[in-house]
Amino acid sequence: MFAAMIGLLVVLWGMAIPLSAVPAPIGPAAEQFADGARVTVSLTLISGSAGVLIGVLAGLGKLSPLRLLRWFCDGYVWLIRGTPLLLQILFVWLALPTIMPEGVELSDFACAAIALSLNVGAYNTECVRAGILAVPAGQVEAARALGLTPLQTFLDVVLPQSMRVALPALANNLASLVKDSSLAYAISVVELTMVGYRVQAESYQPIPVFITIAVIYLILTTAFTTLTAALEAQLDVGQRR
Amino acid sequence: MDSAAAPRPIIDVRKVAKHFGSFHALRDVSATFHEGQVTAIVGPSGSGKSTFLRTLNRLEAHDSGEIVIDGMTLDDDVRNLAAIRREVGMVFQSFNLFSHLTILRNVTLAPIRVRRMSREAAEARAMALLERVGLKSQAAKYPVQLSGGQQQRVAIARALAMDPKVLLFDEPTSALDPEMVNEVLAVMRELAHSGITMLVVTHEMGFAREVADRILFFDEGAILEDTSPANFFSNPAHERARAFLSQVRHGY
Ligand SMILES: Nc1ncnc2c1ncn2[C@@H]1O[C@H](COP(=O)(O)OP(=O)(O)OP(=O)(O)O)[C@@H](O)[C@H]1O
Ligand SMILES: [Mg+2]
Repeated sequence: MFAAMIGLLVVLWGMAIPLSAVPAPIGPAAEQFADGARVTVSLTLISGSAGVLIGVLAGLGKLSPLRLLRWFCDGYVWLIRGTPLLLQILFVWLALPTIMPEGVELSDFACAAIALSLNVGAYNTECVRAGILAVPAGQVEAARALGLTPLQTFLDVVLPQSMRVALPALANNLASLVKDSSLAYAISVVELTMVGYRVQAESYQPIPVFITIAVIYLILTTAFTTLTAALEAQLDVGQRR
Repeated sequence: MDSAAAPRPIIDVRKVAKHFGSFHALRDVSATFHEGQVTAIVGPSGSGKSTFLRTLNRLEAHDSGEIVIDGMTLDDDVRNLAAIRREVGMVFQSFNLFSHLTILRNVTLAPIRVRRMSREAAEARAMALLERVGLKSQAAKYPVQLSGGQQQRVAIARALAMDPKVLLFDEPTSALDPEMVNEVLAVMRELAHSGITMLVVTHEMGFAREVADRILFFDEGAILEDTSPANFFSNPAHERARAFLSQVRHGY
């Protein structure tokens, strides 16, 4: 778990060194690639964390006894899953600033992060809901009978077990997010794909540039997959296999 | 029955009714339970035994009538409910241990969260209770690593950790392999003699006869007989109780 995390950090901060040894057009742009990768990872981590939080809240909301809340969460998931991510990113970028209060400036990065969070959150909602439903009702009754409040029951009994069930699917969504974050280039966020686009436009050598980008994406998705697999192994206690 | 030093009533149930949709699961059930009393609740399947037990800690809300536990009325008031759930423990047929927590954490969770006990105090108490049910050496394991009988003994220790005045058992041995029934009954027998108030829904007639002070016979959502074990087993008043007993005696 820690090894995977440190591996990811080393890759991110050390990446420019081996890259600069590669011949042109890659070598001279090594720092740009490294910066782009860092932006991609920040987008993924920020939207990924916010997306888990949204997924938990909306997943709970879908199971709520309050019909209005249920409808709201259903509508959210339906809307996000039924429209293209690119459209959502553009919408947040173009529409959100017009409804923001005076004086609040949203950076392009923030717009991308908001759109990606909302997007992955909708997909997470379904995973979390399934995870919550997988927790045996008897354990919830036992917690209630012991006098735990509904919130304590959720935090101490339901959430840890539902996360264990939901984790493989959530990890999958996170790995997709690494790739989906490339759409942020459409609103001029300088992430990895945008860097590749610029470097090939300057050098007129798209093939080596895009191969480099692809390799970096592969390294990042592999690192995230390893990280979540390690997390899974750590949570894998007291479970029948 | 006991007339000398009349024990204090701890549960008072008055004309409690419960419906599931149009189905009438409890029909104006009334009974008073006294401190230290061990009551066995028997009756045919679907007669409302579990429903009755579950209304006593509001896992099911009753439709009408009144339930008073240790002076507190069981209703929608959350403070009363919290106080009552601290006084009333429950042991389930399917154990319902928290599968992601160790045995020790299963027992300490509620005292730490609900009674606001310190972790050290809760763990010390949990170890004492685990020793009492013969499972001290299993404290670091997870529920799946234990046999059914061991899990049910942990569930009893978990309920006892809250120091309840009343313990409700809903068929605590029905999900167990036959060779594990006795280890759980032994723990319950020891408890019965410790002065805690127990309500036990059970199909173990031997246990009911030997350990209980009182038998309630449920039939179709009502208490048909409320009597001593000796009386119930030798001389049941109702035809339905006689039929039930002969069926139990001759196996299922
Ligand atoms: N949540 C529920 N929804 C609908 N019907 C229910 C519910 N719980 C119980 N019932 C019905 O109420 C009746 C009484 O059920 P209860 O579980 O109290 O019976 P029981 O005496 O405990 O039976 P058993 O010996 O089989 O456990 C049954 O007919 C059952 O189908
Ligand atoms: Mg039952």
